[in-house]
Amino acid sequence: MPRQIEEAYVVAATRTPIGKSHRGAFRDTRPDDLLAFALRAVLAQVPELDPATIEDVVVGCALPEGVQGYNVARIGLLLAGLPDTAGGITINRFCSSGLNAISMAADRIRCGEADVMIAAGAESMSMVPMSGHHPSFNTRIYTDENYGIAYGMGMTAERVARQWKVSREAQDAFALQSHQRALAAQAAGEFTEISPFEVVDSLPNLHSRQIERRTRTVMQDEGPRADTSAEALARLRPVFATQGSVTAGNASQTSDGAGALVLMSGKALARLNITPIARFASFAVVGVPPEVMGIGPKAAIPKALERAGIRQDDLDWIELNEAFAAQALAVMNELGLDPARVNPLGGAIALGHPLGATGAIRSAQLIHGLQRRKARYGMVSMCVGTGMGAAGIFERV
Amino acid sequence: MGNLIVRKVGVLGAGVMGAQIAAHLVNVRVPVILFDLPAREGPKSGIARRAIEGLARLSPPPLAAADLASHIEAANYEEDLARLAECDLVIEAIAERMDWKLDLYRRIGPHLRADSIIASNTSGLSIATIGDALPEAMRSRFCGIHFFNPPRYMTLVELIATPRTDAGLLDALETFLVTTVGKGVVRAKDTPNFIANRYGIFSMIATMENAERFGLGFDTVDDLTGTRLARAKSATFRTADVVGLDTMAHVIRTMAETLPADPWHRYFRSPDWMQALIDRGALGQKTRAGIFSKPGKDILVLDRSSGEYVASTGSASDAVKAILKIGSATERFAALRASDDPQARFLWAIQRDLFHYCAFHLASVADNARDVDLALRWGFGWSSGPFETWQAAGWQQIARWINEDIAAGVAMSDAPLPAWVTEPGRTGVHDASGSFSATRGTTVARSSLPVYRRQAFAPLVSGERVAERGQTVFENAGVRLWTGIEATGQDIAVLGFRTKMNIIDPNVLQGIAEALAIAERDFRGVVIWQTGDHFSLGADLASMGSLIEAGRFDEIDHIIARFQQTSLSLRDAQVPVVAAVRGMALGGGCEFALHTARIVATLESNLGLVETGVGLIPGGGGCKELALRAAREAASTRTASGAAWLFDFVRPRFETVARATTARSAEDARALGLLRPADVVIANPHELLHVAATLARGLADTGWRPPLPVQPFAVMGANGIATLQAQLVNLRDGGFISAHDHTVGMALAEALCGGAVAEGSLVDERWMLDLERGLFVDLLRNPLTQARIKHTLATGKPLRN
Repeated sequence: MPRQIEEAYVVAATRTPIGKSHRGAFRDTRPDDLLAFALRAVLAQVPELDPATIEDVVVGCALPEGVQGYNVARIGLLLAGLPDTAGGITINRFCSSGLNAISMAADRIRCGEADVMIAAGAESMSMVPMSGHHPSFNTRIYTDENYGIAYGMGMTAERVARQWKVSREAQDAFALQSHQRALAAQAAGEFTEISPFEVVDSLPNLHSRQIERRTRTVMQDEGPRADTSAEALARLRPVFATQGSVTAGNASQTSDGAGALVLMSGKALARLNITPIARFASFAVVGVPPEVMGIGPKAAIPKALERAGIRQDDLDWIELNEAFAAQALAVMNELGLDPARVNPLGGAIALGHPLGATGAIRSAQLIHGLQRRKARYGMVSMCVGTGMGAAGIFERV
Repeated sequence: MGNLIVRKVGVLGAGVMGAQIAAHLVNVRVPVILFDLPAREGPKSGIARRAIEGLARLSPPPLAAADLASHIEAANYEEDLARLAECDLVIEAIAERMDWKLDLYRRIGPHLRADSIIASNTSGLSIATIGDALPEAMRSRFCGIHFFNPPRYMTLVELIATPRTDAGLLDALETFLVTTVGKGVVRAKDTPNFIANRYGIFSMIATMENAERFGLGFDTVDDLTGTRLARAKSATFRTADVVGLDTMAHVIRTMAETLPADPWHRYFRSPDWMQALIDRGALGQKTRAGIFSKPGKDILVLDRSSGEYVASTGSASDAVKAILKIGSATERFAALRASDDPQARFLWAIQRDLFHYCAFHLASVADNARDVDLALRWGFGWSSGPFETWQAAGWQQIARWINEDIAAGVAMSDAPLPAWVTEPGRTGVHDASGSFSATRGTTVARSSLPVYRRQAFAPLVSGERVAERGQTVFENAGVRLWTGIEATGQDIAVLGFRTKMNIIDPNVLQGIAEALAIAERDFRGVVIWQTGDHFSLGADLASMGSLIEAGRFDEIDHIIARFQQTSLSLRDAQVPVVAAVRGMALGGGCEFALHTARIVATLESNLGLVETGVGLIPGGGGCKELALRAAREAASTRTASGAAWLFDFVRPRFETVARATTARSAEDARALGLLRPADVVIANPHELLHVAATLARGLADTGWRPPLPVQPFAVMGANGIATLQAQLVNLRDGGFISAHDHTVGMALAEALCGGAVAEGSLVDERWMLDLERGLFVDLLRNPLTQARIKHTLATGKPLRN
């Protein structure tokens, strides 16, 4: 039974650099400004496209409240100067929000109800804390099945490390490799998907009594550390459990950033004579117990492969989000993923993880990477808080 | 004398003392500019800046609250000397080098304001010589101001005048130091090392000398000369390690250089073992090794003969322990001297040589014997100074023994005791009229400075006048209500507890009820003030323990209900009740304080709701009060993103109580929400009763009315409990807390959130009190809580189960 009447193609993809939260370049930059910039930047890559034809803008955001509340998708597209005829919807599935934005945009095309869609993700972890401004739990979650909902993400990583026997040493080695790969990739100029962002900070100067405007252009991700080492990582103390193995060094960094992609139907491509850069092949999401949310990709990846009609070995490039080294390693070991093809440019431990933006950012990075390396199939996958895994597969065209 | 205005203080020198003096000044809300040399690299004030940042790493903490550091400005001598004009008081605390000091004084002279005060924190250099480096016009505004390390915690400040120092200025400075900075001031003469260090270091020299003579190890000596002798816990050699052996050697060298005619001069040299330690860089605590070292879990001590560190095992002999327990000082000294035990004879010898030295030099070093005793108490942490100890042991008998030992050649020096010591009829140096001054040959009364009238209970030396007791208005087995001293007049009543550590038992509850009824009828205000070092250690767990064993939980519930009623009665009394808090105010003691009209707390007070440590939650109205404060604060706060969310006000209070946090200072208590903005923090504990009584009278004068009845207020309910539970679950499953900690934490969450009701529900005070009392009694039924209580009562330590 055919699942679609149209193919959905990616014609443009970009992202901002990723800033370190709270002390990084974007700590005073609003996420709707990051989003608007990403939208303008991605549309600039397809000048042939009439913005009036954009059906809808789907934006992933993990904590859509405060500065990124009030339907940040709609705010962002209006700030970007898109015509007000374009719709805007903010969606949330925590860390897969950005990937889900792509799959939902693609689905509108695949079922024949839209020709031009934009998918994006934006998150400021500087401005909205990880559990939101008003964390509030239901008393009824504290049952045997559900109490893992109350777990902090680090605690779930400890559980994964224990259940799937991932050692501290392996986690630290993986973290170190993430930094080394990221630094090498920066040096080699591999992050071609980045659109440099000009930060404008307006701060009170208490000496001059004037508002001081400071501008600087951020060219690349702030996270990779040249000064880290196996010894330095080994010295860090476990944060989440007294006898634990998860540290600040082998966990992803909290970050700020945004990414955006333009998707079009095959019909529209032909009409505008635009060459796509990738085909969206499949998407899957699967739930797992909340207390071991990090293992989620293990269940989601085979499903996505099956739907794309390919084998695991057909994947040339896998972006497996490094929420924690513990869960990334557990997933890789369980599925037998080829370490050489997983996160060749480093992952969230080095590059950062702006929750809801990550899916869009990694997809943009992957699609440009497939183009550069003339590879065919690539996948973006991540675990999701409260216990899920998500995976999306792209084919270079 | 007009007011001494100290808007800002300049501290010169950001070393250990300078930075800590700056810290203590901001503790008492005096802003500081801290100067040091310009940095060679980076910002010019980098040296002072780093010293300010370093304060957070020192232990014990010099700052009473971390954010106070922002009130110390970093500066440097190159760019900022003009800013000295902002300073009403300038304290110099640079290294002890006369040439450096003179150079600095010449440089700052032109920048000082003519009406500012300049003072040197030298620990032993000649004040007069330093002052001569100042411009002529400033010399009358200069004196010595000697703080002791660590300055926040050591009470003593020695004030040293030069012949030109303006007398009124010195009085004003003393007043400032006593009330604002909270110190104990002793006037010292401009002699080397002044009073406390002169005698205190001599005491250490005599201890080292006699330890050699009697062949005692460092560990044995420390066990003998610490708390057993009513001196500081760090005794002799650990004190030396804390001070730093290099510093010790420097001070001893200064004595050798500056006191050539001292009959004890030949002892003013560092022992060979000390020099050997210094040579190999073992300087004490700052290098992690000195006389003692702690490379692993166990403490090692230097073996004098081998120069190696060995296990520290030496301790007082049973014979000496028995002697030191003798109640009568006279008999104790006789037994020490008569014993064959070398440890006993050592203890006699070190005190004999100290008494000898103190008496011999009294005329030249201090104005009177009281100043010596107070200086050693405040500067070295002794409970009793040398003269008062001597006097209590029988003045003439001790004097005869000293003379016998001089004659026998066993005293360290054969210098004769001064004639005044053995003059006929002398029974000591302190009596009701004052203390003996060898300089003046007469008895000198206490200072008549008005600031001391604020000290209703001044720190008296033994043999001096007896402290006032006032007139008893009412007393039972638990409390005493009294009045009639200068601080209280006849219109303010003082309520004190009579139990051990002022714990709260049924007699105290009964007594408070009766006392308040009397006070409402016959007085204008009440101050809860205790005679001991601590406000109250909380509810009487021991009596609770026997009720638990008997299974009489209904009775416990009844007592807790009375506890709650007592808290409310303190708040609702028709006259203002002021809690005068110093030291620890824990558990029920803290709950009582929270319910008074005002708290007056000394800076060094430790409030805390610590019930979770014994597996309980506050049950005397503490949970109710914190929930109420959270609700009121939330209702009156708006944040950048709109209305405040109640949970943000409940959560920090939950964390404070769940962790059994004890505030490390009154400023810390403010940050924890245990002190309200209107509560008062003072620096000097001896002024506590005066300030509290004055405040009570002031509240009465302004037409005191107890607060209007509490209207129903919002609670977080089930959502709050569930969200706090998330924290507990993570801590439990991460191995940070036990399952029982989780149980106790859940009870606390429920008590602070008003039970599992809808978020924002309005509840009344009764609702909250019944809830916390029910949860409290439930926890008491839990065997794990019972085990905690039993363990704490038996050992004084918490049990983690």
